[in-house]
Amino acid sequence: MENQPALRGALGLYTVIFITFLYAPFIVLAILSFQSGPEGGPQFPIIHWSIYWYKHLFGLTPPSRVAPLPIGDALIRSLILAFATMVTSTLLGTLTAQAFRRRFTGSGLVFYLVVLGMMVPGVLVGLGVALVSTYLGVDRSWWGTTFLVHVVYTFPFAFLVMLAVLNRFDRSVEEAAWALGVPPARTFRKITFPLIFPGVLSAMLFAFTLSYDEFPRTLFAAGGDLTLPLAIYGTFSVEIHPNIFAFGVLTTLFSFAILAVYGLLMAMSVRRARRVAIQEEIA
Amino acid sequence: MSAVASYDLELAAVRKVYDNHVVAVSNFDLRVDRGEFISFVGPSGCGKTTTLRMIAGFEAITSGDILIRDQRINDLPAERRPTSTIFQNFALFPHMTVRKNVEYGLAVKRMGAAERKRRVDGILEKFELTDVADRKTNGLSGGQRQRVALARGLVVEPQILLLDEPLGALDANLRKSIQNELKLLQRNLGITFIFVTHAQSEALVLSDRIVVMNRGEVEQVSPPIELYTRPKTPFVARFIGRNTIIDGTLAGVERGRGLVDTAYGRFTGVVNDPKLEIGTAASLVVPSEAIDIHAPTAPREPYAGNAITGRVLASDVVAHTRYLSLVLPDERELAVESHVSKYEEEFSDTVLICWSPDEGTIIAQGA
Repeated sequence: MENQPALRGALGLYTVIFITFLYAPFIVLAILSFQSGPEGGPQFPIIHWSIYWYKHLFGLTPPSRVAPLPIGDALIRSLILAFATMVTSTLLGTLTAQAFRRRFTGSGLVFYLVVLGMMVPGVLVGLGVALVSTYLGVDRSWWGTTFLVHVVYTFPFAFLVMLAVLNRFDRSVEEAAWALGVPPARTFRKITFPLIFPGVLSAMLFAFTLSYDEFPRTLFAAGGDLTLPLAIYGTFSVEIHPNIFAFGVLTTLFSFAILAVYGLLMAMSVRRARRVAIQEEIA
Repeated sequence: MSAVASYDLELAAVRKVYDNHVVAVSNFDLRVDRGEFISFVGPSGCGKTTTLRMIAGFEAITSGDILIRDQRINDLPAERRPTSTIFQNFALFPHMTVRKNVEYGLAVKRMGAAERKRRVDGILEKFELTDVADRKTNGLSGGQRQRVALARGLVVEPQILLLDEPLGALDANLRKSIQNELKLLQRNLGITFIFVTHAQSEALVLSDRIVVMNRGEVEQVSPPIELYTRPKTPFVARFIGRNTIIDGTLAGVERGRGLVDTAYGRFTGVVNDPKLEIGTAASLVVPSEAIDIHAPTAPREPYAGNAITGRVLASDVVAHTRYLSLVLPDERELAVESHVSKYEEEFSDTVLICWSPDEGTIIAQGA
């Protein structure tokens, strides 16, 4: 492949286009969020650059015909929901992956049933939960039915991440602990868990982000109190102002911040290992 | 010696069948005295590691019994067995320092901090790990990692130390020196070592007794020298050392010596199978070191007629050993290792290879 410049060029171009499509919408959104307000609309050209819509978001602008975004409560709800989902799914995913380290009767079937959970169309799951809860007389809510649906949705992802991590895990390290007289439960806490922790972080990241912006399942499963994606969708049906773009930029920055923390935690554990190796080489 | 037999480790008819009906180990019987150095050798998949793991408690046994000092431990979980295991990859805890690794086995026991520190310091000193005690284990050299693994396994004072190919991950030079250290260590501690290896040279140097395994069954349990000079089965004859195996029929037994009729004539050797009957298929096994090389005209009487003429294909001398490749009358090729001083005469195309009747072993022919 190295001596086929035409192919290399084509693949390079393809990559550039791909990445452009990936990020262009967000960049356009970010630019438009600096539109002047309140008279500027969600389209080009930029009348003049301002941070009006960011101020508007926090209620720092004089009252105008554009109402504040009704998303404050929804944001809190979504964060709590995503956090609870993250903890629950990662815990369940880790335990399930742990169980799958040994083949048990029906393990193949159970594996496919678990993984198929992420293939089922979200709208159907949401609708199904709505019907069942009505049938059972259970009120739909963001902390009840929606939480349940989010766990069901994110659990297979956490499970697959942990399965991959545990597959690479050197079993003899656990056996070494048992041989030293350490009971299995303590071995898991003190030996296994610290070693698979980077994987646990990844599973948590997956579960959190999937839950945070989940839409189709939540649409039907949520009751009267909306989650963030539903609240944002609700504002679309009235009129779109750049304040929603400003909010999009802020929430994306928030996601990046979480990613940065994740990256930092990972890098710290890697660097700690490497530093010892380098010291050894110098010595 | 007390009259009542009491063994450090006893395996009685141990059998292991996996869920997929593969028989990993069967009919495993072994009695180990306190302080013995026992090696399990055999090709990959022979069941040696599975047996070790059953003793350690990492694998359940399907039937049979395992006893340590007369206590049946079949159902005892790994963490409650008086054994320690050294793994091939050492299985150190990468997130802990050397000191923490070594201390970990004591930390779960109810032991005062002062006593714990004393024991850890002592063993770190003994294994020359004091300088690296506060380092993480990833940066250590192979030899250091090996010593950490040993220190960690021994600080809990096991009754039996189980070693699963512990030299396999080391380079050849290091392997040699650690091999010697291991032997010294075992002598000084006086505890039983069970050592799994596929390198017969390690087993021959280290062991008091060697268990040769093949396809889940024990082929022979013998001290190294006996294993080397008196194999009991065709598998052992092929697996241990470099033996020449000549098939034939047992023609008779005279004063403890057997006569085997072969394609090259009638040879004499020591019968090593009491169940071997006259007239049945037998093999004569001759270690390559036992073979003397002479000119074709040399007298055969000193060897009781144990002589074959061969054509020399190649001859190489390395140090004190001569490696010969011969072609026998029936075109079979034969490799012979011989001490250089054993052949003083000039070399010709054809030589007579001879061995003393005591150095040949007669066993039942393999399937």
